[in-house]
Amino acid sequence: MAVSTPSDRTLRHRLRRLLADNPVVLKELRGRMRGARAFIVLTIYLGLLGAFSSLIYVAVSESATRVSGQVNVGEIGRTLFGGVVAIEMLLVSFIAPAFTSGAISGEREHQTYDLLRTTLLPSHSLVWGKLVSALSFVLLLLLAAIPLQSIAFFFGGVAETEVILSFVILTATALLFSTIGLYFSARSSRTLSASVLTYALATFIMFGLPIVLGSVLWIIEPSLDNIQSVQAERAVIYALGVIISTNPAATALMSQYILVNQRTTGTFAYTLNNGQDMTLISPWVPFTVLYVLLTVVFFVLAVRRVRVIEE
Amino acid sequence: MAAYEHIIETRGLVKRYGKLTAVSDLSVQVPRGAIYGFVGPNGAGKTTTMRILTTLITPTAGDAYVAGYSVVTYPREVRRAIGYMPDFFGVYDDMKVWEYLDFFAACYEIPERERPKLIDDLLALVDLSHRREDMVEKLSRGMKQRLSLARTLAHDPEVLILDEPASGLDPRARIEIRELLVEMAQMGKTIFFSSHILADVAEICTHLGVIESGEMVAQGTVAEIRRQLMPTREIMITLLDRVDEAKEALLHVPGVESIQDMPDDHGRKRIRVDFGGDDAGVSEMLKALSSRGVPVVNFAEETRDLEAVFMRATKGIVS
Repeated sequence: MAVSTPSDRTLRHRLRRLLADNPVVLKELRGRMRGARAFIVLTIYLGLLGAFSSLIYVAVSESATRVSGQVNVGEIGRTLFGGVVAIEMLLVSFIAPAFTSGAISGEREHQTYDLLRTTLLPSHSLVWGKLVSALSFVLLLLLAAIPLQSIAFFFGGVAETEVILSFVILTATALLFSTIGLYFSARSSRTLSASVLTYALATFIMFGLPIVLGSVLWIIEPSLDNIQSVQAERAVIYALGVIISTNPAATALMSQYILVNQRTTGTFAYTLNNGQDMTLISPWVPFTVLYVLLTVVFFVLAVRRVRVIEE
Repeated sequence: MAAYEHIIETRGLVKRYGKLTAVSDLSVQVPRGAIYGFVGPNGAGKTTTMRILTTLITPTAGDAYVAGYSVVTYPREVRRAIGYMPDFFGVYDDMKVWEYLDFFAACYEIPERERPKLIDDLLALVDLSHRREDMVEKLSRGMKQRLSLARTLAHDPEVLILDEPASGLDPRARIEIRELLVEMAQMGKTIFFSSHILADVAEICTHLGVIESGEMVAQGTVAEIRRQLMPTREIMITLLDRVDEAKEALLHVPGVESIQDMPDDHGRKRIRVDFGGDDAGVSEMLKALSSRGVPVVNFAEETRDLEAVFMRATKGIVS
């Protein structure tokens, strides 16, 4: 070898290849950011978010004053923050799939899919490009909302850690939901069916799964209580942990609760009924790991579907 | 890579969709540098063949080779060698003309710094330089088709595979596309294009393949096909009178196969002679008539157009 490339240059080169050199990313972002559309979407999004925050502020400050006679400012801050994050979560879980569920089926509908397939563009670059361009806009929405979240700082009761945590959870949610959209888009020839399937799964994850798992637990929990064993108690707590970690909203709430009460974002000790301690981990960690893993799975499935040459 | 004679070659190509056989034991041979017209009625299997050649679908049996690479085993090498234009225009509704070319050039791994020059050249070639900054969707159909052609050239491929490049265009745009194809052939590209309209093919092709119901009916150079499908020449003779005498004289000339009476032309008699001989034989015929003093007004060989050839080859299904 005549020239040896320093590793940092290779890394930068690779990053550049992953993000900037992907023709699909460039094309999608050019299209998405052109004209007034992106600006209008962002404005409406922030407008809605701002309106909701104001509503929450009015509602909370009213009730906070009335109940205790004196204003609990920290509570206003926390509620405001929680409210904004909740709305963001709802928006992200429904906006992210909207950007991706038409990504590949749309190429089929525009009859550009065959053109792309006969170029040298690898399947993974196509899927990756679609994901990055969709996510970058979702990330823009999330970043744009951080100032709104931060209004809570004026009232206190919210720490920077919570802002960061919420950002991580929202990003992981956006990541998985975008990739689910991509997967169904790669499978379907029509954007409509891809959207329906994506939203079905997204709705199931957001609302269905916690209801199903929660009811199962609710049904079996009394019988476990009767056993009165440490094992049963552990099992129930782990089961609860798993249920919480599958759901972004539950994860956010629980991680926040643990942060406030246990003063940790990592592991903490939980005391069982018999006085034994058991080590638990804040749900945002397993949640993030789970969502990133699922993202990888759906991404690989989408690439494989695109790579297939028709029989 | 083994040396290859034909830049596109299929061997025993078969494509079945369930019970339907779209392509059956098809052997296409396209020499390097040819303008190859792939002609057949709608549904004959032209698009299926092209989709196999462009690695979009896999054959049920047989194999196809482009620039010496098997489409089944080396799809990537094949993709590098071909520029493909499907029978529809893939529109990105939110792109400018130059961005469209830039995007596909990038998909063909052309370095960023080389693209502006390339785009300028391509746009100049297809005469769209003045529409550089316009949105693709604003272009007319003919312009979109030209832009498509420019796209197929982005990575300087050896072979252009064009599915119905002139379909749905107005006559003027059709001529423009035809001229462009000739120009690309002069640039050294091999052009493999399909059509169900013979006029598109007839004027510019060097080679022809006639496909019907998934099978190759005839293949070769235009002259070969003409000979293959139409072994006889047609001589049209207009006479003032004495038709029977003329027929009698002509039947003695070697090579004359049959003589038909044709409808009168303003009172002048006409006969058509099917003739299997060479040019000397044609001159013999004229000599035979004049030596008997038959009053010949007109004596001419009918140039049989390809239309007639195809009508015979495809049993009249070609539109």
